[in-house]
This record gives sequence, C-alpha cells and structure tokens, in this order.
Amino acid sequence: MNTSCSEKLDGNLAPAATPTRRDILKHSAIGFGHMAFSILLAGQASAGEQERAPAGAAPADASNPLAPRIPHFRPAAKRIIFLFMKGGPSHLDTFDFKPQLQKDDGKELPFAKPRVQFAKTGKLLKSPWKFTPHGKSGMLVSELFPHVAKHVDEICFLHSVHGTNAAHGGALLKLHTGSDNFVRPSMGSWVTFGLGSENENLPGFITICPTLAHGGVKNWSNAFLPAYYQGTPLGVASQPSDRARLKYARSRQPAKTQRRQLDLLSQFNQKHLEASGLEQSLAARMQSFELAFRMQTEMPELEDLSGESAETGKLYGLDNPITEDFGRQCLLARRFSEQGVRFVQVTHSDSKVQWDQHSNLLNGHAKNSSEVDLPIAGLLTDLKRRGLLDETLVLWGGEFGRTPVAENNNGRDHNPQGFTMWMAGGGVKGGFRYGATDDYGYYAIEDRMHVHDLHATLLHLLGLDHKKLTYRYAGREFRLTDVSGEAALKIIA
Amino acid sequence: MKSSCLPNGSFLHRWLPRPFPVLSLAILAFPLLASPTIADDRKGLDYFEKYVRPLLVNRCLKCHSIGSESIGGNLLLDSRQGWTRGGDLGPAIQPGSPAKSLLMDAILHRSDDLEMPPDGKLSPHEIGILQEWIRMGAPDPRNGKASRQKSINFERGREFWAFQPLGQHPPKVPDAIEGYPSGNQLDRFLQTRQAELGFPSQPTASRPVLIRRLKLGLLGLPPDPDEVEQFVNDPSADAYEKRVDRYLASPRYGEVWGRHWLDVARYADSNGLDENIAYGNAWRYRDYVIRSMNADKPFDQFTREQLAGDLLASERKPVHENNDPIIATGFLSLGPKVLAEVDETKMEMDIVDEQVDTVGRVFLAVTLGCARCHDHKFDPISTRDYYAMAGIFKSTRTMEHFRKIARWNEVSLATQQQKQAWEQLQKKLENRQEELKANIRKEQARSGQQKETGFSAAARKNLETLRKKIAELEAAQTELPTAMSVTDLESPVDLRVHIRGNHLTLGENVPRGFPRVLGHSGRLPENQSGRLELANWLVSPKHPLVARVIVNRIWRWHFGRGIVESTDNFGKLGSRPTHPELLDWLAWKLIESEWSIKSLHRLILTSRTYQLTSRIDGNLQAKDDENLLQGRTSIRRMEAEAIRDSLLFVAGRLDLRMGGSQLHVKNREFLFDHTSKDLTRYDARTRSVYLPVIRNHLYDVFQLFDYSDASVTDSNRSSTTVAPQALFLMNSEFSAEISESLADRILASKSNPASRHRLAYQIAFSREPTYDEISRDRSFLREMQNEMGQKSAWNLFCQTILMSNEFLYIR
Repeated sequence: MNTSCSEKLDGNLAPAATPTRRDILKHSAIGFGHMAFSILLAGQASAGEQERAPAGAAPADASNPLAPRIPHFRPAAKRIIFLFMKGGPSHLDTFDFKPQLQKDDGKELPFAKPRVQFAKTGKLLKSPWKFTPHGKSGMLVSELFPHVAKHVDEICFLHSVHGTNAAHGGALLKLHTGSDNFVRPSMGSWVTFGLGSENENLPGFITICPTLAHGGVKNWSNAFLPAYYQGTPLGVASQPSDRARLKYARSRQPAKTQRRQLDLLSQFNQKHLEASGLEQSLAARMQSFELAFRMQTEMPELEDLSGESAETGKLYGLDNPITEDFGRQCLLARRFSEQGVRFVQVTHSDSKVQWDQHSNLLNGHAKNSSEVDLPIAGLLTDLKRRGLLDETLVLWGGEFGRTPVAENNNGRDHNPQGFTMWMAGGGVKGGFRYGATDDYGYYAIEDRMHVHDLHATLLHLLGLDHKKLTYRYAGREFRLTDVSGEAALKIIA
Repeated sequence: MKSSCLPNGSFLHRWLPRPFPVLSLAILAFPLLASPTIADDRKGLDYFEKYVRPLLVNRCLKCHSIGSESIGGNLLLDSRQGWTRGGDLGPAIQPGSPAKSLLMDAILHRSDDLEMPPDGKLSPHEIGILQEWIRMGAPDPRNGKASRQKSINFERGREFWAFQPLGQHPPKVPDAIEGYPSGNQLDRFLQTRQAELGFPSQPTASRPVLIRRLKLGLLGLPPDPDEVEQFVNDPSADAYEKRVDRYLASPRYGEVWGRHWLDVARYADSNGLDENIAYGNAWRYRDYVIRSMNADKPFDQFTREQLAGDLLASERKPVHENNDPIIATGFLSLGPKVLAEVDETKMEMDIVDEQVDTVGRVFLAVTLGCARCHDHKFDPISTRDYYAMAGIFKSTRTMEHFRKIARWNEVSLATQQQKQAWEQLQKKLENRQEELKANIRKEQARSGQQKETGFSAAARKNLETLRKKIAELEAAQTELPTAMSVTDLESPVDLRVHIRGNHLTLGENVPRGFPRVLGHSGRLPENQSGRLELANWLVSPKHPLVARVIVNRIWRWHFGRGIVESTDNFGKLGSRPTHPELLDWLAWKLIESEWSIKSLHRLILTSRTYQLTSRIDGNLQAKDDENLLQGRTSIRRMEAEAIRDSLLFVAGRLDLRMGGSQLHVKNREFLFDHTSKDLTRYDARTRSVYLPVIRNHLYDVFQLFDYSDASVTDSNRSSTTVAPQALFLMNSEFSAEISESLADRILASKSNPASRHRLAYQIAFSREPTYDEISRDRSFLREMQNEMGQKSAWNLFCQTILMSNEFLYIR
C-alpha cells in the first residue's frame, strides 16, 4: 500500500500508520481469523499478484470489490462508452434512409399503427434531409451527421433495435436497466459487477451529466447489487459540463493537513480494531479512507482538461460554443476510459428532453446534431489514434426512435417499435448494417433486436454470457436480460 | 442493404413484416396437395415423417414433451393431443390454417411475448416446413396421450416449515444450562444451541457500552455525557430496566422504529419510476406510523388499518377526530408507479401487482409477485392464488384515473367546519373577482379606453385596492387537507388469470381469495373488495406467517441479523431459521401480549443475549465466525439516519420538531419535470425520518450509507463500505459544519485543554480517554494549533473523531 500511494504523492503524504502485518501481530493480544487477516494484507499485494476471481463472483481480495475479474470467455471489448441521446433521435432522419417514405410523403401509412401509441399522429412525413453514401462501405448517412459519416467504415449500425415502452420514463429504464416497471440494476452496474474495474483508484462506472428525469438515479443505480457497483454521477444534465465533478472530492484542507488528519484517524481506528477484535468491516473501512484519499487526488486530475493540447481540444470542438459542452463530456469519457473505467456514459440532454421533436423536427434535430456530431467524430478519431478503439466499445443511441408519421404536422412521435443505435470499435464489424425496419421505418422486421438482445450483445462483446451473469436476490437469480435476450453474433468482427 | 438472414436461398427474403397480415406462400417449393384422398393421407404422413418429425425433435421437444424438465407454457408437441389441446395460451395449431395457428405466431416472432424457439429463430426453410404442414391439415400419426398439466401439491407445500401453523401451545422453554449465567427465558433458547457446540460463555458489555448500544438502537442517538454518568452510577438493581422503559417511552423511539416500518412499507414522497411527481400527502402516512409506534398500537390493529382502515366503519370515530384509519391505507397507495404508462390496462394491472407483491412481502414474507406470470417456481403459490389476491386490489380504488399522467385517489380529511370556512372564503373571493371585472367594464365604458393605463388615477387606485384584497383572500385560502387513501369500488370484480402476466391473453376466471397453501377457503363478500377479510385473516392468531415475520424483523433490527436471515422471504429460497423454536416462542409471546411491540422489545432488551459484549473472543470466533448463534453481540455500523442524526446531535444542531411535510413542491407537482433540476432541500435540521424521500433521487447522504431503496420492501438493509462515504465525511460542507459546531460546543463549555479533550471523548464515544490517547491527541492538537490556530485545530480534531469507527459503529 505504501508503494501505491507514494507513486501518486510525495513522500510526506503517504499514510504513516496504516496497519501492517507486523503491527497487527504486535498489537493484537488475541487470535483472529484468516479472513480478516487477508483483508488487511491484501492491499499490499501488487495488482499482478492478485488472484483474479471469475466474472460476477466475489473478488479474490475482499477489500477491493472492484478488483478485475476474469470474463466468461475471450472478450472483444474491455470497456464501454455509451453516448446517450436523450429524448429519442429520429433514425429516419439520421442513419436509416427510407426511399419509400420520401416517395409517399403526405400519404396514409399503408398498415396499422401500434396498439399503444404515445401521441396522436397523422400521415407519412418524409425526411427533410438528404442522405449520401460515405466511406468504402457506402453507408448512407444524412446531412445531420457529416463528421460521424466519415467514420462509417468503423461503425456497425443496428437498425432493428426495438423496445416495448412508448414513454420516456419507461423507455429510459428499459434501456438502462432492462425493466420498465421493476427496480433493477443498470447495465453499467451489471458490467462492473461482472468485470470489476481496471483502476482501483477510480469508480468502475461513471455517468457524466446524467438526466434526473425519467427514472433518474435508477438509470445508473446498482439496485440490489452491492453498492460498489453503482454509477458515480458527475454533474447533471441541467448544468454545463464544466461543472461535472465528483462530489466531495475537493479537500477543504491542504493535502498535508488532511494527510496528517487521516494518520491520526488511522491510529484511532487501529486502537478500536484491537479493542474490538479483528472485525472485517472495521478493517475494510480503514482501507476506504486510503482509497478515498487516492481517489480525490486522481479524479480532479482526470477532470481537469487543461493538460490536453489545443489540437485535441479542437478535435472535440472545445473551441466552438456549440460543440463545447458535449465535446467536454466526450473528452472526459476518453480520459476515464483510458484510465480503465469500465463503463462510461455520456448524456446529451439540455434542461429539456433534447431529442424529443414532437414538432419542429427541422430546427430541433439540426440543433441537436450540430452539438454532438463533431465531438463524437472527435472521440472516435482520438480513441483510434491512441489505440483504444479496438478494445473500447462505443455505443450511440436514444431510448427510442421516432415515427415515420407526423405529429403536429412537422414533428414525429416516439417510436419504440424499430429504431437505430450504432456501435463502433470494441470488436464489431465496421461499415456494417444489422437488421432492418420496414419500408417506412416504423417496425423492426429483420434480425429484430429487442433491448434485451442489445444487452445480451453488449455483455457478449465484453466476454460475458448474459445467462451466466446472475445475482441472487430475494430468493432468486436475477440477470440483466431477465428471461430473454440473445446476443447478435453476426455483428462481431 | 446487407441482409444477413438468407441461409437457405432468398425466397423468403424479408417476408412477414410484423404489422402486415400473414402473406400466403404460394411460391413454396414443397409438395402441394389438393383435396384429401387416401394417397394424400399417406403423402401427408410421409411429409410429417420426412420433414416435420425431425424438425420437432431437434428444435422443439426439449421443452415441449412429457419428458421435459419443465414443460414450456404447458404446451406438448410430442403428440397430436398435445398440440390440439395446447398449452396456457390454448390450442397451438389450427389444422389447415397457418394464419390462425399460435405456433406460427411463435416461430415467426410476431409478438415479443412469444418468440420460439427461445435459443434462436428457425430458418426460413424450417418455418416453411411447419407452415406447409399445418396448411395440409397437420397430419400427425402420434396418438399418445398428453400428460396432465403439472400442478402444485398444496398438501405437500404445507409441510414446509414456514407454512406450518404455530401449534396449540408455545414451544417449551428449555431448562437453564449449567455453566451459563442465567438470563431470561429467551436466553435459554440460544444457550441451548451454544452449549451443544461448547461455546465459551461471554461476559456482558460494560455500562457505558450498553447505554450507547441501547440508545442508538432504540432512539437512533448517542447518549449525552450526563446520561452515561447517571447510568454508570445508578446503584439500583433495575437501573438497566428503568433505562429501557425510559427510552421506550421517548417520542424519539417512534422516529426510529417507525422508520424501520417505513422501509418495509417502501415509503416515499414521490411515485418514482418514470415521471417523478410529488406524493404531497404521503407524510401523513409517515407521521401515522411514527404515532402508532409511539403509542404501541397493537400490531394486529396496525395491520388492519393499513389494509382496510377505510372499511373499519364500526371502529371509526368521526373522521375529523381520528383520521388515522383513513390515512393508514396510504400504505396501499404510496408504492412506485409508472404514471405515464401509455397502456392504461397495463398500468392498472402493474399497480395491482405492486400491491399484491408488497402485501405478500410485508405480511407473509412470500414473493407472491412471482406468480403473476406462472405458478411460483419454488413456493406453493399458483397463478390462481395470485389472481385471487389481485382481484381484491382490482376491486379497490387506488387511482382516480389512468390517463397519463395518471392520478391517484385521495380522500378529504376536512371537517365540516373547515369545509364551510373554505366555501365561505371561496364565495368571498369569487364576489371580489366579479366586482373587479364589473368595475373594469364600467370604467372602460366611462372612459372609452380599453386599457387600464387610460383610466383615471382614482379608478386605477380603486382597482389596485380591489386586487390587493383579492390577493389577501387568495393567500388566506388554504387547501383542504386530503390523504392518499383507497376506497372500495362500487361493485367488486373477480379477475381472470393473465397468461404469462399479459393482460391481452386471459385464462380462467378466479374468485377473489387468499393463497390456498395458507389454508383459507371462505368466500369473500359480494359487496366489498375483501381487504377487510384479508386483514382479519392475516392477524388471526393461528396464521402461520404474520407473527413470525414481524418478530423476526424486530429481532433483525435489534441484532443485525434475523433468526431467519432473509427477513422478507420465508419461502423455499429464503433462509431457514437458526432457532425455529425461539422464533415460534417469540411469535406466541407477541400474540399473548395482544400484539404489543413494546412488550416484545422489553423481552429482547432485558435478555442477557442483548447485553453481551461485542468483543471478539478467539475461541468463540473459531467456532462461529459469523456469529450465527449469537454467542456475542455483532458490531454494526449505524444506519444512514442514525449517522446524520447523531452527527447533528453531538454538534448540538439537531432540531427535534416532529412531523409535517418538507417537500418543496405542492401535491401532484413534478419534482423533476424534464429539467433535471433537483430543487428538493435537505438542509432542515430535523430528524432524518422527516426529510423528503424522493424515489429516483434520494438524498445523496442517505444513498451513500445504504438507505432503503424506497421502492421495494426492505427490512434487511445492507451495510457497505465504499470510498465515497469517506469522501463525504472528509470533504462535505455538512461534515465541516458539524465539526465546527462540535468544536464550538467543546470550546465554549470547558476552558482547559484537558477537560476539553475529555469532553470530546465523552460526547463522541461515551467514555473517558486513556492516558495514551490523551498524550497522542494533545500533541496533535498542539501541533495543529501552531499551524492553523486553536479553532481550526479543534475543528480538525473533532472531524477526526466523528469520522472514526468508534463513533460510527455500535458495539
């Protein structure tokens, strides 16, 4: 433990009085169990020496619940960055071109609308944007995403994603937790529970500027999984991303003073431990202060973008007020991923439901895409040039798509029946389309990918079998995909 | 477009889009048959043998034959009779008509609810085979009998320990054990097991440790230095018992033990799940629970009120005198709800489901919710049982309507007087408003000006005065009090079984009733929902579960672990009791005391077991590392509320005012609209139980320290240790404020360094510092004082004390 701290801190700040094996032997008048003993000593082993437990099992080292685990099989990706477009971006105006829709603008939809709809809709509404082929693969992308379009040869489009809930709240919960009416752990929690984290000084699951509406915390909550696997929020959607910071990570004291304080605390706790007899939870809590101290050193460094070059800043659009806010989130995501954070979510939403164009599709979607297009492309470029894209899975999408039929003449309603998400990097086929919607883009009809299937696929890419990654709670085994889900193996490179 | 599902040629390319009617397959390359002849029969059977049988064997029979481990959807495909009769959803095949055959729906994945086979869709070729076979009339030579559907054996189910009746007499109290100090009767149950395993007997805790444990456990606050001193120096033989009684009589008791019940009742001040809307009157239920705990309301009455308070007509006083039974049914209403669910029938059934599941977990510790879609996989609860219970809640009005955003039911609590006053004021208000309008019209006519700016100064002044009066009246007009409460529907309804939980596929009709395994078969009234009968049945003295479940929870809240560890699940997958006789004995004691929870507390608290030391003895630990048999007291971290309240308390900042709402928005208003702005305030310094509980966005301090999720019954909170907890104590404003206040308190009450140091230990740890601690801490203080001055040094020292394990853990 002394070594891992002094790497980050100058000598003065290393803890002076964390119990060592010798201290414990010297001070303990009583015998103690092997368990508690190994807890105290585990922190002293370097990461390489630690035995890795299998996915979803308790970590070999009980004092480090985020210790990395061995996946079920060889993973294609090590980590995930989820670019969440809140509100439901229209697949019909971005990545799923429908010539028949363009042709039949203003006509009636020639088949039935779903039994349950969110709002009243009218006739077919064509996309106001042009689609052109891009890359070697010739993928069609609309004018809304000119920068992302340059990366189509790395992108695997999932055109047949579908969910079941037509309201934002239900759909967000379904997408994030697999359930719209029960409290279930979010996918980031499952992933962290399954694989642990590659960096013990950082949370394993970070969500940047998440939205508090529509399920709120439940979308990054660990639910019944142990608290170690909850998402750590930085900022909220209603605030600019330069205020996205880990809570309580700023010391009110100079580091030296706080170090001195923690040393005294350690002496208090050491004495209490001796008086109580070795109790695992007491020892673990002593460790947690040391981890907190390291975390508060590391997190602010990562959150501080001032060390990035101007060129990198430009790549993410930090030089432009339109792209700056989301660009900063993308850059943070890269920095966390680079440091081994397992699951990073980035949310694009202002203080409204940003992508929710029930009317004024033209202005709304144009504004939204102008904020995210360049930063997303920048993220892909940056990950690639750093050699991170191969092992980092980037997932893009919203909680549903939008209807090909018009609402309020110039908008589109929610459409969970068929919509597009895309993946890049992390072992998926580039320049590839998986699944399809019907001629108007209303329903997914080919290689239908339910949200459960999406989850099964994400876990599969990380080397996890969604049927085996289970947690026993209230008398039964739970999993992210409930009782269904099938990994889409066709998309794997 | 790269299409990737064409393994067997492209003739079925992109056929059968989900919303379209099934296409006919005129171009199939299979033998087509005309009118049936003997030759046709033979051909048909050949076709079956050649194509269909192998396909069924390979892809279907693993789950759909008599030999299957569990038969999927109760559908058998290993005989003609099997598919003719069909499974839960009815006949699988309509010979001659693929379009009307459920089997085709399933293999074509026409609906998310029914996609077969589950491990991957059949190839278009295989689908074509089955389609053609059905079109031919589904010739099938397999004449074997289909087995009967599996059903639950309730008789055998009743043999499980939890469903066994409590018996005619309480279990016999074991004899005193030689070599173990005598305690009360309760101790003997535990000592018997300990003696069997040769546990060394342990001493009781010292008085300072004991009073701290007792007060934190009952009142959620540490004792004052004076309290400790009095107790330590009390020479009377019943010093401890007096202390127990005193704490049980404190109003602080209900705030802690009411909170335990609120965990069970999944209490919150918002609906959570999707749109987050304020349950602006939920606090009335919270205060009712605290009141009930403090009054030691008998647990049977407490149960009846929460399930059927509105129906307890004969026991009810005029509403304005005693609203408690009405308020109590808020229990049924305040669960998490998806209020913007577009499918209204689904929303209604989801709300009913939440109630059935909650009642099951809360009173029976049985997961009834599992039987919504299929017979319970492990416990003897069938879907019939589920829908029998669901009928009771379907016959209860929980919601005013289900249109998004749906409105829950509320009942007026206003007295006649309040109503009259409200109406009078309303009338006045309306009159003034009329007067204002009339005056404006008059003035317009007189001046010929439309806008008020064109009126004369006198007229404008007149209008202004009038407006001021209206504003005053509006301010004086308060909302009439209402409570979240349920009522019965005019005519109760029975429900049909929802196959696979889906309200679109309905099965047999089930009369309202209770789970069969628990042995009640009486019919419920035709003119009421049956909630009252449900409540009475639950608290009938011979009910196997209710008393066991509540005494087990109380045990858990005292000791950190239940006699049945899974306090909310007494089913097959739950834990077994470590001391079954003790559990039953306690259940008897509770019933004999007329369901007095405080009597049960007394019994437990005055046991020697409760008073044992927590110090870990090596020999004992070797025999029982996890302390399952309670040879000692387990060390536990305070719960979230106790942490916050104790910090405020030692700092002298705790506001002991009770009750009321602290929500910042009105009833039914959005806590969050789409803006993600959390306006909820947690800066009140009242006890934690009174702070708002916002589902989806709990107070982060609570969230950090393992607060209940507030959505599901949880009487067994976890206790995790994570770094963000440390960060909160190290760096938060709250922590700084508390440390500064504690430092102020200490510096103000004593003048010399030694007594100040001593006081800090007395306040935070309920003990005196040792010699080593004195010299260590004082050298720390001196050193820091030189660096940062006296006050800052003391702030730092106080914070250190409050972050320590000794402060946060109860031993």
